[in-house]
Amino acid sequence: MAMFAALVAVLGQLPAIPLAGGVPITLQTLGVMLAGAVLGPWRGAGAIVLLHVLVAAGLPLLAHGSGGLGAFAGPSAGFALGWIPGAFLVGLITQASWPLRVWRTILGTVLGGIVVVYACGLPVMAFQMGLSLEQAALINLAFLPGDAIKAAIAVTLTHSLARAYPAPFTHARRRRR
Amino acid sequence: MIPLYQPGTSYLHRLPVGAKFLGIFLAALIASIFRENLAVLLGIWALTLTGFLLSGIGLRGLLAQLWRLKWLALVLTIPQLIFLTPAETGFNVARVLAVVLMAALFTLTTATSDILSSFERLLRPVDPLLLRLGLSAERISLALSLTIRSVPLILSFYADIREAQRARGMRPTPRATVLPLLVMSLRHAEETAEALAARGVR
Repeated sequence: MAMFAALVAVLGQLPAIPLAGGVPITLQTLGVMLAGAVLGPWRGAGAIVLLHVLVAAGLPLLAHGSGGLGAFAGPSAGFALGWIPGAFLVGLITQASWPLRVWRTILGTVLGGIVVVYACGLPVMAFQMGLSLEQAALINLAFLPGDAIKAAIAVTLTHSLARAYPAPFTHARRRRR
Repeated sequence: MIPLYQPGTSYLHRLPVGAKFLGIFLAALIASIFRENLAVLLGIWALTLTGFLLSGIGLRGLLAQLWRLKWLALVLTIPQLIFLTPAETGFNVARVLAVVLMAALFTLTTATSDILSSFERLLRPVDPLLLRLGLSAERISLALSLTIRSVPLILSFYADIREAQRARGMRPTPRATVLPLLVMSLRHAEETAEALAARGVR
């Protein structure tokens, strides 16, 4: 869990990939999806909680070395907090059975990694910026392609890892069917 | 990994962590509730400014913080100018920046170790409850320090992977980088768990 929290932090620091639209994306949310998919719901969400406690305590662990309490005061606070239920849902759906099923991993990363995170993030952003929900959603449309790509990468990575190194998938393997 | 904390001996530095956190939390809450109130906005900015001056971080530190927030300010301003009037935009941006700066002030004047130890103290009373969930305040603080320790380690894993890729003339695609990073990190986590178990920590 601790290791994965650190991994999500490191993924936020790696050089970002400039997207076609000029919007740079980091791999941090990929780490969030992977935390749920690999560690399962409880430990996946736990890793994100650990990360958030350290960020709130003043370590620069969020994307591009940002951090501190300010990260939870700005308009994107809801997205970061949404990672916790997000990672939980990714783990719950992805690790419902062993061996993993591709359709379940896709469903999990999209629902948990994108839908839940946006559902937590958009209201906070709309409230902070004095916009309506629809307007906030429109702004965040720019990030949706990046998140879709990350979900796709998360799915392939999860399945490669499950084949190469299945030890961490304890939640799924306990409920072997 | 360098914490964002800036050491000092000012009044703000010496304030207890809990009191400082509560104060900033209340100020942020008030700023968010009375959002269209000019007096509240000016008051919050005045509070933030005096905070920065009082803490010895000063105007230069404030400007450095603002510079860090340049992308946030840009992302805040542009869409609002499309949807709202310039006056409303100015109001919203000023409010959000003040709240973020005030939160940054907490981070700048409070040592990470102090925040973590008061977090641990906060967990102590709920320890029986945590035990029922299979946790304890001690295990949580062990996990927190393991996380801090792991960040530079994983960065060094990343450097190893990049070097190997460069030696083979590979392009660093996310897949080819993150998969070995995952395996190395998870394997190290397993070794750490074994080492802890061998020392009687479960």
